[in-house]
Amino acid sequence: MEMEKEVKDGQALGPVVRLITQEKIKLYAEASGDFNPIHVDESFAARTPLGGTIAHGMLSLAYVSEMMTSAFGRAWLAGGKLRAKFKEPARPGDTLTISGNVDCIEKGDDVSYANCVFGCHNQKGDIIVTGEAVVKLTDDNK
Amino acid sequence: MPDKPVTYEELTPGYKFPPATYELSAPFVSKYMQAVDGVDAGFVPPLAITACAIAAMTKSVPVPPGTIAIHASQELEFLKLVSVGTTVECHIGVAQKIARGKMNMVILGVEVFAKGGEKVQSGRATIALPT
Repeated sequence: MEMEKEVKDGQALGPVVRLITQEKIKLYAEASGDFNPIHVDESFAARTPLGGTIAHGMLSLAYVSEMMTSAFGRAWLAGGKLRAKFKEPARPGDTLTISGNVDCIEKGDDVSYANCVFGCHNQKGDIIVTGEAVVKLTDDNK
Repeated sequence: MPDKPVTYEELTPGYKFPPATYELSAPFVSKYMQAVDGVDAGFVPPLAITACAIAAMTKSVPVPPGTIAIHASQELEFLKLVSVGTTVECHIGVAQKIARGKMNMVILGVEVFAKGGEKVQSGRATIALPT
């Protein structure tokens, strides 16, 4: 579980780059138990306003968490908070790039918090997910 | 447990779904990590727990006929790192219901507890139901 030793204002997070495939969506459905047909039933999804299958929002968010884990390690895994908005669906064939930065560090007497912003966009530049995350900094990375 | 599945119309703020239990076994974690291109690090990634909770939510929410459920937003707080093999219980309740033109939205609160009652995760999910 690697982490940065010192966190600074403006510090870049990521990027994490991942290709979405129908096979990966199927694997995610099997792992999570979320078989909503909009994700896994191509003929059903084609008849909806979405026009085809879409990835689970939580799959994109898993990549965000991977980026945060790389930057903050255990401080993120046990103490992290996030707020995310799913703006556009991620579709099979999309290459997602997840990146972010430390927006500001709030320093208190005993504790500091890294306030981060993140985004996920596809190869066309469409914003798929945006959000904020907060990490309570430990002595390792304060 | 309710005698029959609740309908969307019957969902009201404060409604609690029956808790859903998941065993976060090694095969489950391994399958999850494969799905997200991750590397097994010997603990349960918090988002793997959330994945179970979201699946429980999507199974719980009665979607009106002809409607698709879209995950619109998510808030999460990770409280404790969970070890592989832990059994967790997901408690899901209706926080808010919104009807806006042709869009219905339901905001669900979720709390996840490890066996023994320790809260390991909490959050809120907004599910959009365009008609």
